Amino acid sequence: MFFTSGISANELDTNDQMRYQSLIQEVRCLVCQNQSVAESNAELAKDLRREIKLQIQDGKSDIEIKTYLLDRYGEFILYEPAFTQKTFFLWFSPIILLLMFYGWFRKIGN
Amino acid sequence: MTRRILPLVIFFVLMGFLAQSLFDSDSELPSPLIGKSIPQFTLQNLITEEMYSNEEIIGEISLINVWATWCVGCEIEHEFLVELSQDENLDIPIIGLNWKDDDQLAKLWLNQLGDPYSIVLKDPEGKTAIDFGVYGAPETFLIDSNGIIRFKHIGPLDREIFERDILPVLGELN
Repeated sequence: MFFTSGISANELDTNDQMRYQSLIQEVRCLVCQNQSVAESNAELAKDLRREIKLQIQDGKSDIEIKTYLLDRYGEFILYEPAFTQKTFFLWFSPIILLLMFYGWFRKIGN
Repeated sequence: MTRRILPLVIFFVLMGFLAQSLFDSDSELPSPLIGKSIPQFTLQNLITEEMYSNEEIIGEISLINVWATWCVGCEIEHEFLVELSQDENLDIPIIGLNWKDDDQLAKLWLNQLGDPYSIVLKDPEGKTAIDFGVYGAPETFLIDSNGIIRFKHIGPLDREIFERDILPVLGELN
């Protein structure tokens, strides 16, 4: 298999190409923190894109590919943090804050 | 009164958290590979061009240093690595992982700046580097005699970091 830059996903069929695009949007490039792999040109980003594409072509599922990345880079590599005990507050803080503000405004209103 | 002050208190607590993470320069990410065996690989020796597997490089406590000639931080730490390799009291082999580099440039670099490595394996595609969870050179791993990763340092290594972070782990291993 030959990859020129690892950026084009032409060899993938439409469904796989959509999976590829969505996966690389989710993966955070670690060299240029806070730039997702899709918009980053760093060498590592290219390598990661190539790896993701290879694994899609190998028939790996999204979960398998994400596990592959998580095993090596940890949770930080995915933009969306996994739902764990540690990130519980992170996920629910908007709702908690909303309820707090609701309660507070109601008190003030009275 | 308290009702009016409460939002202000919450505001300042939040500001406190944000300020803390702003000034928290220690942005190093923990590696999920600590405590795990080094990944499987078969890589070519830069100098002899022989193939080496992960099994063949383990057996004693050693450092694995990810470097490249294009990497600025690698140039900074190189002198210290040479120093470290000549330290007879320590006697710890440094295994080089030459990451996405040009063979000729890499050899030239070692000729000119000195070769601190017991062996240099090349990873031109960067596949093994991904398996090591590398996201920027230089990175240095401390592995024990069973090939388990015990510590990882991201960025140029120097004596201060070595003595502060790596020596204690070495002490535990010996």
